[in-house]
Amino acid sequence: MAKVFIYPATSLILSDLVARFGHKPLGAALGIRERIQTAGVDSPPLQITPEEPKRGLKYAAVEVPSGVRGRMAIYGPLIEEAEAAVIVTDADLAFGCMGCARTDELILFSLRQSGIPILELKYPTNEEEGVQFVAAIKKFLAGLPNGGEA
Amino acid sequence: MSRKVRIAQLSCGPEYSGVQKEIYDAAEAVDAEVFFPDIALADVERAVDAFGLDVRSADLKLMIARGKALVDGKVDADGVFIGTCFRCAEAAIVRNELRRYIHEHSRLPVVSYSFTERTTAGTLLTRMEALTTIARRRALLAREEQTGITMGVDSGSSTTKAVVMKDNKIVGTGWLPTTEVIKSAEGTVAQALEMAGLTREDIQAVGTTGYGRFLIGKHLGADLIQEELTVNSKGAVYLAGHQRGASTVIDIGGMDNKAISVLDGIPGTFTMGGICAGASGRFLEMTAKRLGVDITELGPLAMKGMGKNVSMNSYCIVFGTQSLVNALAAGSSREDVAAAACHSVAEQVFEQQLQEIDIKEPVIMVGGTSLIEGLVYAMGQLLQTEILVPPYSQYIGAVGSALLASGFIQGE
Amino acid sequence: MMAEYSPEYVGTVTRYVFVESPSMTPGELALRAYEASEGVLIKETCFGLQVTGEPEAVDRLIEEIRAFDPNHIFVKDRGFPPGDPRRCRANLGGARPGYLGHEREFRILRYITHGLEELDRRGEEAEVPEAAPAHEKKPKLDIRRLQELIETEES
Repeated sequence: MAKVFIYPATSLILSDLVARFGHKPLGAALGIRERIQTAGVDSPPLQITPEEPKRGLKYAAVEVPSGVRGRMAIYGPLIEEAEAAVIVTDADLAFGCMGCARTDELILFSLRQSGIPILELKYPTNEEEGVQFVAAIKKFLAGLPNGGEA
Repeated sequence: MSRKVRIAQLSCGPEYSGVQKEIYDAAEAVDAEVFFPDIALADVERAVDAFGLDVRSADLKLMIARGKALVDGKVDADGVFIGTCFRCAEAAIVRNELRRYIHEHSRLPVVSYSFTERTTAGTLLTRMEALTTIARRRALLAREEQTGITMGVDSGSSTTKAVVMKDNKIVGTGWLPTTEVIKSAEGTVAQALEMAGLTREDIQAVGTTGYGRFLIGKHLGADLIQEELTVNSKGAVYLAGHQRGASTVIDIGGMDNKAISVLDGIPGTFTMGGICAGASGRFLEMTAKRLGVDITELGPLAMKGMGKNVSMNSYCIVFGTQSLVNALAAGSSREDVAAAACHSVAEQVFEQQLQEIDIKEPVIMVGGTSLIEGLVYAMGQLLQTEILVPPYSQYIGAVGSALLASGFIQGE
Repeated sequence: MMAEYSPEYVGTVTRYVFVESPSMTPGELALRAYEASEGVLIKETCFGLQVTGEPEAVDRLIEEIRAFDPNHIFVKDRGFPPGDPRRCRANLGGARPGYLGHEREFRILRYITHGLEELDRRGEEAEVPEAAPAHEKKPKLDIRRLQELIETEES
């Protein structure tokens, strides 16, 4: 079982397919769950405190907006943990955790820099592309070093 | 208790900057609630298309769609808070265009703000208070005449002002530097009463405003305790005799500056800021001290000089002071330096704040700094318009408070 | 105003279960899931379910739920426990942003379903054409071809 970063990190389809084919999807939910389940200073709605953008300085400089740094505080550790990534490149309507284009650019760059195996593809727009989409992901995941169905 | 004022939040980034709670807290402190206009995905796609601003960030698209839902009347709100991350260019464009769009196409009061992870509820409080006041007290703000005998006290960061009004006329004024908040307030009240030939018992209603409004409001048993954004716009259009129609009010204060776009005496959009004291009256005070003149002499001195002869950028008060000292050391005349300081402050307000509201004439300058004619001149040059400085403009907050307080006289 | 935060549901995981099926409604899905739940918290929603519990128990239940209708049931991790007031539509005034993201993907779930069915049908050995790589760049005009074009224009 490999840890596979999914992009968009909020994707239902990628979260499902990666898990369905026996791997662990790394997405926004993991980062949010960790914060929601940790005691500390109350900071609704996501339990991201003003400290998080400061932690995000590890991934982006101080002149980068706080929202980017706060988001990177969630994604940075997940990217470091990832052993592979599946990226949908036309995910232009992913909101909230994925709602900032600058963060998204930085996430993609960090993934590509990390040297892990990456599959990049587009959302299917018809049934045949649906077949290709699922097949490509299945094949990519099976080919990972610690791949294969669990 | 009246129903909570509903403020629609259009934002990108506060949850991830860790400041959403600050927004909630600021709203709660003024008995308002923040909500997010409900829309569907198809609305987002349609709205972004119709609005015509092709941004990449999905949350900015969401902001546009929510803003449009408000303007189209699909979602009800009493006011709008627009917030995006400081230093994000994409978001700044959306924030400005959306603010302008809502202002032009609806009667909803809007406040916009760019936050960092350091933004606190305290910073947002005055803005939220103004938003809720406009929503909650439209009837009070519609008042165009002062009646009976009322008093207004403005406890500002640098100075405290008091005004006594009787039958729509100013009959007494008081002015003191703010040292101890309550003591300064009492001092100005005594001055104003003495000038009016009245006693505390004659006063039928009291209004307070400014930084110390809560403290002195409690001390004086005020009927109205109100932030300075609504009070000053009201006072400005009242004193300028321009209560109907559009106008712009600029108040360069001791600690922060206000720029307010006013319609029929009610603020529509406003900004309040000043990243650094370099863009405030404080810098002019320092300049006067360095030039060895009283602050009241700085304006006439500046009018004799040429600002262009000295380069000065007061974006930061430390750098601004540095260029001031350097210019004097290099032999620049005191007149030129005074003019440059005025120009620099005007320029900072122009660049940092006036871009965030729509300038509609007449432009009315108020507050203590409006008496510095060099500053008014520099602002007029930048805006290419003649600036109106009404009589008693330095007492603006006190006058606005006294005017509005008359709505609280028994039987009114 | 700094306030303490004490979390609930510590150590649990929550998953969304979406059903997009002609033969099973969210209600039916819930009914069958309850039977298999064994202490895992189940909350019915308009699109399917949310299940919350110890990670192993949730994994086991999810496996059973998926088996009801593998190609029409989709599962996703969720950071929040079910019914959390911070994400509740009633409290926010509108849907949380993540919901709109789901809406985006609901539109294409049927293609994913078709893909899964086709892969089942064609079997492991079948050659399946892969998706065109998203990074495919349009070939730029070859420099020699440009030279030729210029020369033809000039002559």
